[in-house]
Amino acid sequence: MRPQVEELERQAAAAIEAARTSGELEQIRIEFLGRNGKLTQLLRSLGQVPPEQRREIGLEANRAKATLEARLESALDAAREGERVARRSAERLDLTLPGRRPPRGVVHPLTRVHDEIVSIFAGLGFSVAEGPEIETDFYNFEALNMPKDHPARDMQDTFYLSDETLLRTHTSPGQIRAMRAAAGRTPVKTIVPGRVFRRDVPDASHSPVFHQVEGLAVDRRITMGDLKGTLELFAREMFGPKSRIRFRPSFFPFTEPSAEVDVLCFMCGGAGCRACGDGWLEILGSGMVHPTVLRNGGYDPEEVTGWAFGMGIERIAMLKYGVDDLRLFFENDLRFLKQFS
Amino acid sequence: VKIPYGWVREFVDLDLTAEQAAERLINAGLEVASVTSAAPDARGVVIGEVEAIERELGESHGHRLLLCRVSTGRERFAVVSGAPNTRVGLRAAFAPPGAMLPGNRAIGVATIRGAESQGMLCSERELGLGDEHEAGLLAVEPDAPLGADLLAHLGLDDRVLEIEVTPNRPDCLSVLGVARELAALTGRRLRVPAIPRRQGREPARALVRVRVEAPDLCPRYTVRVVSGVRIGPSPAWLAARLRACGLRPISNVVDVTNYVLWELGHPLHAFDGDRVAGATFVIRRAAAGERFTTLDGQTRALDDSMLVIADPERAIGLAGVMGGANSEVGHATTRVFLESAYFAPGSIRRTSRALGLRTDAAYRFERGADIEGLVDAGARAVQLIAELAGGTVARGMVDVYRRRRRPVRVRLRLARVERVLGVVPSRPQARRILAGLGLGVRDRGRDLDVQVPSFRRDLAIEDDLAEEIIRVWGYDKIPSTLLAGATIEVARESDRLRQEAIARRALVGAGLVEAVGSSFSDPVRVAALRAPGDPEPVALLNPLSQDASLLRQHPLDGVLGAVSTNVRRRQPDVRVFEIGRTYERSAGGDTGTAEPRWATIALTGARHERGWDDEGAAVDVYDAKGYAEHVLETFGLTTHTTPGGRLGGLEPDRHASLATEPGDVVAEFGELSAGARESFGIDVPVFVAAIRLDRLPALPLAPRHRPLPRFPSVQRDMAFAIGDPALAVATVQTAIARAAGALLRDIAVFDVFGLPEGARSVAWRLTFQADDRTLTDEEVNAIHARVAEVVSRQFGITLRGS
Repeated sequence: MRPQVEELERQAAAAIEAARTSGELEQIRIEFLGRNGKLTQLLRSLGQVPPEQRREIGLEANRAKATLEARLESALDAAREGERVARRSAERLDLTLPGRRPPRGVVHPLTRVHDEIVSIFAGLGFSVAEGPEIETDFYNFEALNMPKDHPARDMQDTFYLSDETLLRTHTSPGQIRAMRAAAGRTPVKTIVPGRVFRRDVPDASHSPVFHQVEGLAVDRRITMGDLKGTLELFAREMFGPKSRIRFRPSFFPFTEPSAEVDVLCFMCGGAGCRACGDGWLEILGSGMVHPTVLRNGGYDPEEVTGWAFGMGIERIAMLKYGVDDLRLFFENDLRFLKQFS
Repeated sequence: VKIPYGWVREFVDLDLTAEQAAERLINAGLEVASVTSAAPDARGVVIGEVEAIERELGESHGHRLLLCRVSTGRERFAVVSGAPNTRVGLRAAFAPPGAMLPGNRAIGVATIRGAESQGMLCSERELGLGDEHEAGLLAVEPDAPLGADLLAHLGLDDRVLEIEVTPNRPDCLSVLGVARELAALTGRRLRVPAIPRRQGREPARALVRVRVEAPDLCPRYTVRVVSGVRIGPSPAWLAARLRACGLRPISNVVDVTNYVLWELGHPLHAFDGDRVAGATFVIRRAAAGERFTTLDGQTRALDDSMLVIADPERAIGLAGVMGGANSEVGHATTRVFLESAYFAPGSIRRTSRALGLRTDAAYRFERGADIEGLVDAGARAVQLIAELAGGTVARGMVDVYRRRRRPVRVRLRLARVERVLGVVPSRPQARRILAGLGLGVRDRGRDLDVQVPSFRRDLAIEDDLAEEIIRVWGYDKIPSTLLAGATIEVARESDRLRQEAIARRALVGAGLVEAVGSSFSDPVRVAALRAPGDPEPVALLNPLSQDASLLRQHPLDGVLGAVSTNVRRRQPDVRVFEIGRTYERSAGGDTGTAEPRWATIALTGARHERGWDDEGAAVDVYDAKGYAEHVLETFGLTTHTTPGGRLGGLEPDRHASLATEPGDVVAEFGELSAGARESFGIDVPVFVAAIRLDRLPALPLAPRHRPLPRFPSVQRDMAFAIGDPALAVATVQTAIARAAGALLRDIAVFDVFGLPEGARSVAWRLTFQADDRTLTDEEVNAIHARVAEVVSRQFGITLRGS
């Protein structure tokens, strides 16, 4: 039987040599080593071999089997590796193709600025309140020291719904509402963001609809210095740590003294440019709450003092993001909005 | 208001340039918008004299062309002129060769009708000084210096401050007021020129009578008289000054009233004395419906809230607003009655607004004129009239001033100043500042006693004076401090704002873009979006335009505007949302309105970003529904869908509501109707959802942990063929869930498609699980069989694939 073993071994070696694919090699394994494989059968027929030869041939056949298995294994490894490489190159991915991105939601730039302002003042301990957009003449004007026929009403062209109701022209009614809600308690520290309306023909810097944030602080010892310090802090948070502000006298019927507040132009650093002109950008109006307004809010101006400010969200967004046309905020062109994602 | 700086310097010595003065004024609260040159853009124009007319060159456009010899003192020029007022001896504006007229018009030597013209004699219009051209050359006084620069001679080499005066400072609407402010800021003395009193012997009282019948609207009325005037043009210096202020010269008498208005700030009016019947002024309310023709030739209907200046027969002036055509000073006028009065600001403002007549006079009276200063203004004007138009000033004036102004005294505590400002100047400095502004100041114990002059109507309380002190001292002196609050409170946003922020975050997280829409809407759009039975929309009394005349009533108005903008700009894929309000009438509240809050969604075009292997399936109504459900789930709400809804503008069969409990609708969704689309100019399908934020919980419930399941779950799929199109999937699902019993953990539709015979195949995946054991196949098979049996029988539908 020995020649048969040798013959099978030779045949198998030749077949392995000739095989090209892992599939062919698997076939060879079945042909020789499978349950009905040639070598398996040969081993099975050992019983017919004379006992004296049985041991020797058995050893021989097992050796042949081990050799064959080892050879197959290494040929298979080689074939599989070759095939893997071939398949990779056939299924090559161009990883420079763009990734599949989830849709990107975008917060409106006015909301971004709103959130930023709110979080700065919330950090300073201010609560955040709201008010109606349709207001009474009383809250919008009279309680703020602007009786009917007051020429200061010219500063804010008003949309009326009736003689006594109107679209609020500023968030300042929030001062009265906040004080009345506090019912004489101190301190009052509130900001009131919201939508306001002026009867201005829309152009690059006017919109009949826009947004403001009102700020109010009332306490026993509050000075205009505190207003300045607070707004300085705000400017540094909002426009960067190098920001500086400037107070200029101005007039609002509901504050006395009143101040217009400018921030040092962060585009030119104060040298003067197209955006600012003289190096300063006007960002808000402010002042010490007028004694009449304190009284209308239920406070005694001899007991408490207070300050208030009102800033335009669009104005700040325009400065911060370099937007040169106010109307863009309300057109909702996706190409504009997606710049703020 | 335009204030020539050179004029200001006649009242106060200043060594500041106009730009420096502007800077000082700005820092003191007077907003100087610009500093410009008073002169037009012309160079090299001088004063020339027509020495001789050499010969005529014929006619042109109806005017004789004359060849003149023009002298500038040093040189002589041959110049052709066609101006009607050309005459020997006339001194007029002359542009020699090399001069430049406005519009970069270079003057050289030209040949006209064969004659050489060296330069050009100029009219007012050619110099850019006004509209006048037909009258001919701009003439100057016969003794004006030959060869002198014309613009300098006219006083037009001045700088002009354009000041935006806040409503509280009418006193700064004049040269004197600005000069006073600059004097206070620089510590220089204000020089108010003394007014000479050249007057005749006859008292004004003998020439004119005044009866004030409405003293509430006219607290003071004075009249002065100038007799024997000759109306003519104003001298060049006066005309030039008026032009620098943006006013048009008319005639000497009228120009004087405007000149004094600008100089001293008080509006005056000159009447033709012979046209005032009985030389009697009656200051009365207009009769209701009384018609009156103002100077501008317009006839206006008055009402009895308006004040008129009348004679015993008729109205001759609209008090404080505009004079009347019937008493206007004209060429034939020889006697002038000059009114200097004080009218109640509110009344002037109402009248001026009601008639749409915003005049310089009304502008000042409604801000508050100077009830004492009007005396000087009248005196100054009649002296100037006599000077420029000749005539005799009658002695004194008629002055009806029954209730004298009470002096305003304010006790100023410097401690209060410090309490408000956080800083205070020394007492002498505070005194100096207040005195510099023209206020009377006296020490009174530790305080100051301050007397406020009549021209500062804005100063009434201590804090007003605190502002005066700090704005002159300098706002940069205010220290920078922080609130020294002892109380620490947790600051928080209102629940509403937090709720809106949560909804916004959910939608942005889901990939939508936030839009911010207008609050105004177009009646066409409102009509297209209206549902039957909706209340009347809230309308503006004074809209800017018809297409923004209503307040938006439909929650989708804003997002649809955004869709419209983008689709029309060729951006077909729009997935936007808005957090906003609508406006509606509502009983109760101060304003009779309510402002419901919404989160709204609008979708059109592709569902996802189109990619290199994804053509982008189109959005449909289930996307709109899904976003709405996404927001509702964020607030912990699960909802049922019921067909239809209250909102208008949706396709009736593609419109449904989401309710937490029957009748408790929190959102609606659907497809926009064709009519609504059309009103927004959108020609593609749009799917929308509107969530009523006011009906959602303020905040989501805090999450609650449940133990994870310890035993595996088992899934079974189950499909039914549903033939009845009216049988809703939700109805069948509810029945399946009920039949499946307590072991059902989850049920979801995973496949829907049409069958050949017209029915729908709907497949559900059911997930079963027990808390205490592993379910056996037999158990689940039994449930499955029971469900199939119950549901098939209940709806008459068949289980598929079994």
